[in-house]
Amino acid sequence: MQRTNYGHPAPATSPPLHHPVPQHVSTVPQLRSPPPPAPQHQTSGYGNPYQQQGPQGGGSAFGAYGGFMADPTAQMGFQVGQTALKHGTEYVEQNFNRYVNFSALKHYFNVSNSYVVNKLFLVLFPWRHKPWSRKQTIGPSGQEGWFLPPRDDLNSPDMYIPLMALVTYILLSTMMAGLQGAFNPELLGYTATYAFFVVGIEILLLKFGCYLLSISNDSQLLDLVAYSGYKFVGVIATILVSEISNGGKGTGGWIGWTIFSYTFLANALFLLRSLKYVLLPENSNDERGTMQTVARSQKSRRTQFLFLYSYPLQLLFMWILTRI
Amino acid sequence: MFFAFGNLIYISVLLVNAIAILSEDRFLARVGWSNTVSEPAFGAGSAGDASIKNKLINLTTSVRTLMRIPLIVINSILIVYEVILG
Repeated sequence: MQRTNYGHPAPATSPPLHHPVPQHVSTVPQLRSPPPPAPQHQTSGYGNPYQQQGPQGGGSAFGAYGGFMADPTAQMGFQVGQTALKHGTEYVEQNFNRYVNFSALKHYFNVSNSYVVNKLFLVLFPWRHKPWSRKQTIGPSGQEGWFLPPRDDLNSPDMYIPLMALVTYILLSTMMAGLQGAFNPELLGYTATYAFFVVGIEILLLKFGCYLLSISNDSQLLDLVAYSGYKFVGVIATILVSEISNGGKGTGGWIGWTIFSYTFLANALFLLRSLKYVLLPENSNDERGTMQTVARSQKSRRTQFLFLYSYPLQLLFMWILTRI
Repeated sequence: MFFAFGNLIYISVLLVNAIAILSEDRFLARVGWSNTVSEPAFGAGSAGDASIKNKLINLTTSVRTLMRIPLIVINSILIVYEVILG
């Protein structure tokens, strides 16, 4: 509204009229949508660069899209969607981080190609490998820090190989069933449940044994899950070779049982050498005074338990898994 | 390789029932598995000398104490399921 000039007379030109501009389309086209609100806490590391490129991408492609981004309601909807996505991601992360430890899982998937190849070779032929202890980084005060990721240390357990081996085992056994003419899509779910059940039972038995023998387990649960997933590699090798050489129903006859016993022995040796450092704290001269005196009978009992776990139990589980 | 979860649940419930039913003074004390509190041995040997038998006894006693009441609930649910729903 114009302020009426009382003192000064109006100039000769007419005062600028305030035309009502038609409002039904965009009056002031926004050339660049306002920048998104700066994220308060950097929890979602992988979500942020995606969202920060969103508005600039929308703004720079304004000319190319034409009337799509020019509509303020569309832009508002876009921003509402962005904010909702950001809030949803943060909510999911905060709630998931309580159940599944994501950062620990990321440590297990930090593998490289050469590590995968060498580790597969190690699982199948473990007798030529010399140092079996895991490398540790030295902490700032001289104490032992955390373990190196699998990328730098061949002896460190990873979850990549067991996960891939599990999926390959499920697909392979389903394919075998299909080759024999007995396939239905539920077989995939059955096999997956069965494999998970075997792994779960094994971890339960291991934990039960550790509790009975009062072995204080310093390494995490995921380490044990990873170690128990390595037997799928041998199971896959057994199924493949026996299926190729037999032609019909696999894991029967000479070659099948030979390959099975070889992979079983290789897996047992691999487990023995790897779990020696986990289950049998022999001479750990650390500043923590918890494990003071491990009596000789205890030590022999623990060795027996480790032996029992590596050989007969693994034999049972591998036989179960190769029964298809 | 048809694997059924229902059978697994039945097996586990029956086993826990068997653990919970054992009488404390008529059977366990006779065998020697009763929950006697060991003498208070203060010192660094308390964690090391808990033998396997003591640990098993502790485990069974804790299972019995914890699972008495949930077992009642679970058994009632299973009975209803079996009787009414076949």
